[in-house]
Amino acid sequence: MSRRQAKGDYIETDSGNKVSRKAMLQGTQNIMLGGKAVIQPEVMIRGDLVRTAPSSSSSGGPANSTAVAIGRYCFLARGALLRPPGRIYKGTFTYMPLRMGDHVFVGQSTVVQAATVGNYVHIGRDCTIGEFAIIKDCVRILDGTIVPPHMVIPSFSIVAGQPARLIGELPEGGSLEDFELRDLYKSVGNNPQPPPP
Amino acid sequence: MAFTAPYTYIQCPCSSDPPELDPGEQAAQDAIESDDEYTFDPRAPRANYSLYPLEYLLYCEECQEIRCPKCVNEEIVTYFCPNCLFEVPSSNLRSEGNRCTRSCFQCPVCTSPVQAGEIPNEPDPTLLGADNNPAAHVSYALFCQYCNWSSSEIGIEFDRPSGIPAQLAKVKNGGEPKITAKDLKERRKENPDEPPIADNLVDTELQFANLKSFFQNQLSDSTGVLGNLSLADGAGFSSPAALSRIMTLYTAGRGQPGRQRGPPDTMREAHSTDDGLRIAKLDESAEVKKLFRGGWDETVSREQTLAQLEPARFQDELRPTQCTLRTKRSKRCAVCRHIISKPENKVASTRFKIRLVAKNYIPSISIRPLKPTASGILVGLRPNVQIEKPLKPLQPCQYIVTFTNPLFESIKVTLATPNSTPGRFSSRVTLLCPEFEVDANTDMWDDALRDDGDLKRRDDSNGQAEAGKIYERGRNWVSVVLEVIPPSLRVENLDLTAKPGEAVDKSPLKEDEDILEIPMFVRIEWEAEAQHDITGTAGRDKDAREKRELAYWCVLGVGQISHE
Amino acid sequence: MSSSSKRQSIAPSSGPKPPVNFSSSLTIPKDASLTGHHSITILAETVIHPRARIDSAQGSVLIGRRCVIQERAQLGAAPGDRTSLSSTGGITLGDYVIVEAGATIEPGGTEVSEGTFVQVGSTIGRGAKVGKNCTITPKSVVRPGEVLPDNTVVFSNGQRRTDRRRVIDVRKVALLKQINVTRKMIRSDPDKFR
Repeated sequence: MSRRQAKGDYIETDSGNKVSRKAMLQGTQNIMLGGKAVIQPEVMIRGDLVRTAPSSSSSGGPANSTAVAIGRYCFLARGALLRPPGRIYKGTFTYMPLRMGDHVFVGQSTVVQAATVGNYVHIGRDCTIGEFAIIKDCVRILDGTIVPPHMVIPSFSIVAGQPARLIGELPEGGSLEDFELRDLYKSVGNNPQPPPP
Repeated sequence: MAFTAPYTYIQCPCSSDPPELDPGEQAAQDAIESDDEYTFDPRAPRANYSLYPLEYLLYCEECQEIRCPKCVNEEIVTYFCPNCLFEVPSSNLRSEGNRCTRSCFQCPVCTSPVQAGEIPNEPDPTLLGADNNPAAHVSYALFCQYCNWSSSEIGIEFDRPSGIPAQLAKVKNGGEPKITAKDLKERRKENPDEPPIADNLVDTELQFANLKSFFQNQLSDSTGVLGNLSLADGAGFSSPAALSRIMTLYTAGRGQPGRQRGPPDTMREAHSTDDGLRIAKLDESAEVKKLFRGGWDETVSREQTLAQLEPARFQDELRPTQCTLRTKRSKRCAVCRHIISKPENKVASTRFKIRLVAKNYIPSISIRPLKPTASGILVGLRPNVQIEKPLKPLQPCQYIVTFTNPLFESIKVTLATPNSTPGRFSSRVTLLCPEFEVDANTDMWDDALRDDGDLKRRDDSNGQAEAGKIYERGRNWVSVVLEVIPPSLRVENLDLTAKPGEAVDKSPLKEDEDILEIPMFVRIEWEAEAQHDITGTAGRDKDAREKRELAYWCVLGVGQISHE
Repeated sequence: MSSSSKRQSIAPSSGPKPPVNFSSSLTIPKDASLTGHHSITILAETVIHPRARIDSAQGSVLIGRRCVIQERAQLGAAPGDRTSLSSTGGITLGDYVIVEAGATIEPGGTEVSEGTFVQVGSTIGRGAKVGKNCTITPKSVVRPGEVLPDNTVVFSNGQRRTDRRRVIDVRKVALLKQINVTRKMIRSDPDKFR
């Protein structure tokens, strides 16, 4: 991890991740950032809640235990919380990894405990994604939604409500570029470029 | 409604097509339509549902026109369950209905997904015996993950966690087995003199099955021709047209040629529950007592009962419903029947085989204020959009309208707006540059490799709002300035602007009358390669360029006018 | 969680250290924040996650056995909240209570009885009395002074229903398993607060 000489608000890593200094990342050795991710202040990622694999692992140690894996160009807005889901599996309680795809936007103060989140997902602010929810690609979750545990949200859905219900479908015309967060990535950081007109 | 951010909506030309008229009226209609003063009014009732954001619009290459969701026909590509994402072939749909048959259920109380789980059994303390193994009999039930409803509340428990639909179909609320049509048949065989079962024991499914078999028998009895064919429930025939075609084969071949297939002559009515007749129970004193005991919480809400297959009144009559299937649909142009959007068959894939969207054919229009009144947002709070302050009446405001060209040719754009916006409170609108050209959407590398001497068109962009000149230019986009003077929203001032002799509507401000919307007519002209017909290639130049043009109305939602 | 532009201090506040009464089997990391001047008592085998905030300025806090207080949970007054300093009581949590991330329990004689799950982002108003084995689904609000009978589920924009499952013991067993696993993952530092 290289640091810039000037002490900006963000730490920019070699792979282009922009992590705010005020973000609270626990257990960073179990957090995988895909590159060009933006982590705003007061985001919390619980990497310490890692899967306690049974002792049948070949290398005799918690070799490659990822608690939270995030794809490229993700944007975690202020106050978001990523927490791996946990459940009782074969009699013992264990946490499972939380996997997010590319170009995922997580809104402010949202709590995500899903099992997997696909690519090009836009999650609004103040949402709660329950444990082991599965969110497929190209989904839009509106502000204030509560996704109950174990819910599956298929592609191209727009969901909202408490509990979350399907309220619309994404138009085909809304190309993936709308979800793309490259511009957002450039607009944040130590040398922010203004958002394009 | 609070105004959020400046928007651009495009009107699909299909809404302005006049309806079919006979020739006499058509001439008169033509005269009106050719009136150049026609301005699109976004507030008119006719404009309802004709405005769409760019993402919702598709483009038909054959007709060279925009298509909106109203003027496309949809066809279903795949059916799938939204819970298990399992694809259901359309043949299964006819037999098993439009719901998932693989243990995907929704909670009747809150519509969130339910999961099958074990019911913990307390070991029976009265059991004697050396082996203290309490795991004798494990039951399962459905548990809602959100509202903690469980199927034990309606008295249904299962023996296995899989194959729930089959187990559920056999059990009524309360745990007693349901009487199905098969059971009835068995009973008939064993005991032919048994009277038909009581009305209150018959539920909707059983009644339907009885009714269907009754009418099938009636039809086969009266019209002997159809004796060996089952009732037209669609099984085995791909469409009603095929069915009627085969029917005429039969009727034409066996006497009575040409006789219309009318309804059978005599059919008796249903008499009892065996025939599918269920007499309504008019004495509801038991339900009323239950209502008194249970109170409000015991009853079922309207949404909950609408989702049920059988109408329910009390919470213990609810049953978990199977998830309805969702579809992937392809869209076809209504005029030329070409496919303009076709997703892939696989449920997991988000790609499209064919995807002709308007974004790739017409320029994207965006609007922002020239001098933003709102302060910039802290980096930590991005990407919030700052809401502009409302516009001050009677003070000119300038906005930058940006056109981004998606085509690979340069386009010439002509804009036209009415001097005053339609509506009761009209603003004065001035376009500083109504005609301009936008460069082609070439790759960035092409741009860099091109020689730098080609800068002649860069001269007129100077970043200042001047009449007749564009504001700024980029690789494939151009910004122009639009000036608008919002009106005063005071109803008293309407007298000043009204024409003499016109009645003035002085009613208070209606909803959304303070939102400034500018209708704008956009015409795009560009040169494209001519579409060669197969026959006429002999006498054509290789570089035949065809002039194409496209014109449509769009509405720029600018902002809210303050109520001073 | 308030979205005010005033930045809340993320470091444990440097206020006075409250008198604490910890059980020996407690797991509490050093970046949990304990403030206030009344006593804070936490009983056996409870797990406090990092960045949880417990404030006893308006009354003492009692947390029962085998509870879980997740990150960013707020027990007691929020740091900026100065309403009603009359300490009419603190907070009492029974055994086997989970307070999930971002949930808020306001002080003032609030009681949460045993076996209740207060899920993500919920708010229990001051003086409310929540019964046993309740479930407060995410982002629900229990109004100040409200009394919830046992086995209530609060869900979906304020609806209430009675939970008739018979899984109470299973929930407690599952919570115990969760505690045993989570304790090993959080580095505990109770001496920092004594």
